[in-house]
Parts: sequence; structure tokens; C-alpha cells
Amino acid sequence: MSAAAITESGVARRILIGAALLFLLFFLLLPLLSVFAQALPAAQAGMARATASFGLGDVGTAIGQLAAGFRESLGPYLAAIENSDAKAAIHLTLLTAAISVPLNLVFGLAAAWAITKFDFPGKGILITLIDLPLSVSPVVAGLIYILMFGANGWIGPWLMEHDLQIVFAVPGIVLATTFVTFPFVARELIPLMTEQGRDDEEAAVSLGANGWQTFWHVTLPNVRWGLLYGVLLCNARAMGEFGAVSVVSGHIRGETNTMPLEVEILYNEYNFLAAFAVASLLAGLALVTLVIKSLLEWHYGHEGGAHR
Amino acid sequence: MTAISVQGIRRNFGRFAALDGIDLDIRSGEFMALLGPSGSGKTTLLRILAGLDFADAGRVLFDGEDVSALPIAQRKVGFVFQHYALFRHMTVADNVAFGLTVRKRRDRPSKADIKARVQELLQLVQLNGLGDRYPAQLSGGQRQRVALARALAVEPRILLLDEPFGALDAKVRKDLRRWLRELHDRIGLTSIFVTHDQEEAIELADRVVVVNQGWIEQVATPDRLYAEPASAFVYDFVGESNRLPVTVAGGAVRFGDQRLAAEPGNVRDGPATLFFRPHEARIADTPDGIPATVTHVRPRGGLWRVEGVIEGAEAPLELDVMGDAPAAGARIMVKPTRYRLFG
Repeated sequence: MSAAAITESGVARRILIGAALLFLLFFLLLPLLSVFAQALPAAQAGMARATASFGLGDVGTAIGQLAAGFRESLGPYLAAIENSDAKAAIHLTLLTAAISVPLNLVFGLAAAWAITKFDFPGKGILITLIDLPLSVSPVVAGLIYILMFGANGWIGPWLMEHDLQIVFAVPGIVLATTFVTFPFVARELIPLMTEQGRDDEEAAVSLGANGWQTFWHVTLPNVRWGLLYGVLLCNARAMGEFGAVSVVSGHIRGETNTMPLEVEILYNEYNFLAAFAVASLLAGLALVTLVIKSLLEWHYGHEGGAHR
Repeated sequence: MTAISVQGIRRNFGRFAALDGIDLDIRSGEFMALLGPSGSGKTTLLRILAGLDFADAGRVLFDGEDVSALPIAQRKVGFVFQHYALFRHMTVADNVAFGLTVRKRRDRPSKADIKARVQELLQLVQLNGLGDRYPAQLSGGQRQRVALARALAVEPRILLLDEPFGALDAKVRKDLRRWLRELHDRIGLTSIFVTHDQEEAIELADRVVVVNQGWIEQVATPDRLYAEPASAFVYDFVGESNRLPVTVAGGAVRFGDQRLAAEPGNVRDGPATLFFRPHEARIADTPDGIPATVTHVRPRGGLWRVEGVIEGAEAPLELDVMGDAPAAGARIMVKPTRYRLFG
């Protein structure tokens, strides 16, 4: 079928594209830019002065004003990030992601492998369970861990006896993050592995490969880009998770505050500059993830793509 | 000598009986076709022979040894998949070498030996010089030959091929078919392939197993299969045929009120079907015969293919006629020169 047959008329096309661009501008691009702009207020002022100079035709002065603005801004910005509480939050966020992402890499891969390569009773239930963290509110996910490990929870008293702290501590945050980010790798891999079928694995086994060799030499290379993409998404969510972590964290500054929680606290304290500084870091991490993802898709598109 | 013996194999998928009691002996060095329509159970049988699937009842013997419980890795079978199942991230040479490189260290040939073996196999399948390519850079026919070389690398005692030409276009299919037959004659490996294409089975195989609804309808050489089909299904499935609903009563075969010049043989009284091939009938100039109306006449090789409708049965008719063909719309009388009657 030719593309011309399903193409809209010129006017309709322009209206549709225009609407999509406007939507992106107002709902995504401007808010994102304002986060960075808020984090660098002096730069904003510099920008205004530079625009004025530029309007007068003085390009040299305009660039000078802009640079001066950034220099002025950078001081408070760096100070906000180098604050010990902010640093602890950054550290905790990176630590949480560094534990939960590898865990979900292994769990997700194992679940996808089991679901797509084998038939067993209860397969439908497993598929539904994988989607559970996506359908349940993150707050509920957090409460589940309070119910289990909290002081009045099922195994909370036993934990207290043995001086083990799960909720309101790092283990709880890691658990809640792992729960919330569990579906990303598995959901990325299941359609890909379903489409690829079992022929390759059967071929490997027929040639004498054992289970581990089949997995390592055949299955894993076949899904590597999809896996990487799933890991990137999982990582982005792990660093950005707010709701579930908020419930189990206890909000102890410098100890159990992740970056999203720190942003909220700073914001509630009317410390806008610091709030936006940390938020801009978080947004920057998300942007880096998106760029890596796009590069992967663009670079490996011919191999079936990172995402299909 | 019997290389493979299948005894009373049954396989159910839920309540559906995919294989309903299969018995089959395959001689050493034979090239065997499993022929049947889709859903007949032929691929299930092949997968059970390979050890990719397991029967609910019955046994599979290789050279007299019961392998029913052995997984595929221990059966020493080469399996060629319909869609090749080549490892796309490996070069052609690595694909072919895979079965050797995954062996345990003490059974594994040296790197140089593996390389030599791969070269030898690529030469055998006429792909020398393409070892460094990736599967995506090959044509369908080339990929199928890589799959074959990869299966042969582990020196299997039998070779199993699932619809080996199914994914190829007509021209390549024909060439590869001839080439595979020659290869089999050269290496003499007991081979079984699955196909739904009767032409393919007849052209390639030493013997053909016709499978239908989990049953073996007939096992025969291609010429016997065509000349002496054992059932109405085989007659219909192998080669072209015309079918005429008739009644057998008191030693006579009747089509409507008309008595046909056919012997009932051992077909019991009651409704029956008379089959005849398009080239095994002539147009009679006498008024007795099967009445039909011609709808189309097309040239076909040096003959005319006459298509029509049998009057009184509204069944389609196909005839191959030499010399003068009747015109479309003409009413003709057809007399089968050879026929088969099935009750």
C-alpha cells in the first residue's frame, strides 16, 4: 500500500502537526526549560540584558552579559547542590538505582525467559503479576512494605528484636524502588522474545548446547538492545520514583531522603533556588537517559531496533 | 536395516489428538517425506523424532536403541528449521561451528580442526568464501544451506528437516530441491523431511508417508502412491483428481440412474466415490458416459485443459485433452479409462 493513500490533505496535516508541536512546547519543553531557568536566576537576568543588548545590535556586549549572568548564577547553583543534605540525597538516589536496576535486570530477564520459552501452569497469573506494580498506586506499593516490615507489621517485631531496620531506612527504599520498577525490563523483553520464538533456542539445544550456553550465546545476544532499553527506562524510573519511596523513607534529611524527596522538602521550605537546582540535576539525568535511548534506536535500527 | 522405528506413538494437545497411534519403520540411508495438510500432525511427529517434543505413549527406536526419553542433545540428530533459526549475531562460520564449540573441553576439537571442518562443510553446501558474512547478508537459499551445514557439523545419525523449502520462492525452491537430493545421495544420511507439497515429496523422497488427522494413510514409493492410492484421502491429496458421487448396489456402480462401466471390486453396497485423474478419461462420442458442461478451455503444455461441471452432481470436472478440444459451453460425455472406487 502506498503512503499517499493514507495521507491527510495539506491543511489537515499542518493543523495536526501544529497541534502536536504546541502541545509538546507547552506541556513538556517550557516546563523543562523553566526548571533549568529557575535554577539559574542570575542567568535569566543576564539573558534579559543580553537580549536587550542584542536588540541594540551590540553582539559583543550581549555575549558578555550572558556569560556574566551564568557566572553569577553558577555560584548559588553549585552551593545548593554541594549542600550536605543534597549530596546525601544524590548519593542515596544513585545507590538505590545501583542496587534495584541490576536486581530488576536479573528478575526481568528471568521472568521474560520463563514466560516466552516455556509453557507451565500459572503463566497467565505470572504475566498479570508483572503488570501489578504499573497498575497499583506507588503509595499503595509503599504501604505494602510498611505493612510487612513496619513496627506493627507481620515481621516487624521479629526484625526489631534482631535490630534490623527495613522501613525508614535504605533497605526499605531499595525494596520499594525495586517493586515499582520491576515491570520495565520484563515488559520490554516479553514482546521481543515472543516475536523471536523458540526456534533459535531449539536449534542451539539440538546442536548440543546446554541451558546456560543457550542462554549466554543465543538468547542474550538476541535481546541485548531490548534489554538495554528496558534497563535505561528502569533506571530513569528508579531515580525518579517518589510515591512509594516517600511512604517508606521517613524523610530523615541527610539519611533517607532521595533526590525527588529532597526536591519536595526544599520546595515546601520555599527554598526555590535549591529545589530547582536539585530538580534540574534530576531532569538532566532523565534527559541523558533519553538521549542514550535515542542514540541506540538510531544506531541499531537495522538490527531490529532497541525498541520494537 | 531399520534406522528408525516408531511404535504406537500418541500425542495429545489438550483433548485434541495430534498423533493417534503412529507406527513407522525407516530404513538406513533412506530419504523419507512426511506429507500431509497443515494440522495433520506431521511436524509433531518430526519433533517427537528429534526429541523437541515427547509422546504421551509409544516408543522411538534409533538403530534398535530406545531413545524415547532422551532429550534432543543426546539423540545425535541434525534438525533444520523451516525459518532456518540461524544465530543472527554470529557469522556464517560461527553458526556452522556452534555445535562443535559448545562441546565440553575434552570432546571439543582444536580450534584449527573446527576451522577445517567448517571449511569442509561450507564447501559441501557450496558456500565457500561466505564464512565471514552474517545471516542477514545472505539470500534465503543460502541461509537454508548454512542451516544444513550447521546441522551436519555435529555428525548426526539422522537428519530431520521441517518444511525445508517452505520459506523460499518457487525458482530457488526447485534448485535447492535438486541440490538436496544430490547431497543426500552423496552422503547417504538417513533423512526425513516434512512437507505439505505433494510435488516436493514425490520429486525428492525415496518413500512418502502420507499423514492425515494424526494417522498414517499410506507409506509408499512416489510411483506406487500415485498409481495405487490406499484411500480416498491419498487419491485426492496426491495429484489432481475428479470425484464423482456414486452408489454401489448389487454389483453395479451407478451415477444417478445411469450404470457406469465400473466394477465395484470390494466396495460394499451404499454410497461411494469414484475418482479419476484428468488425463485418465476421454470424451466419448456415444451418448453413454458422465454428462458434463464445459466452462473453460485453456492450453496447457501440448494439451488442452478442459474445465467443466458434471451434470447431476454439480461437481467440478478437469480433463486433459489432446488434439481437438470442445468449445466452452459444449455438452460432453466423459468416460474414465482408469478409475478408483472408495466406499
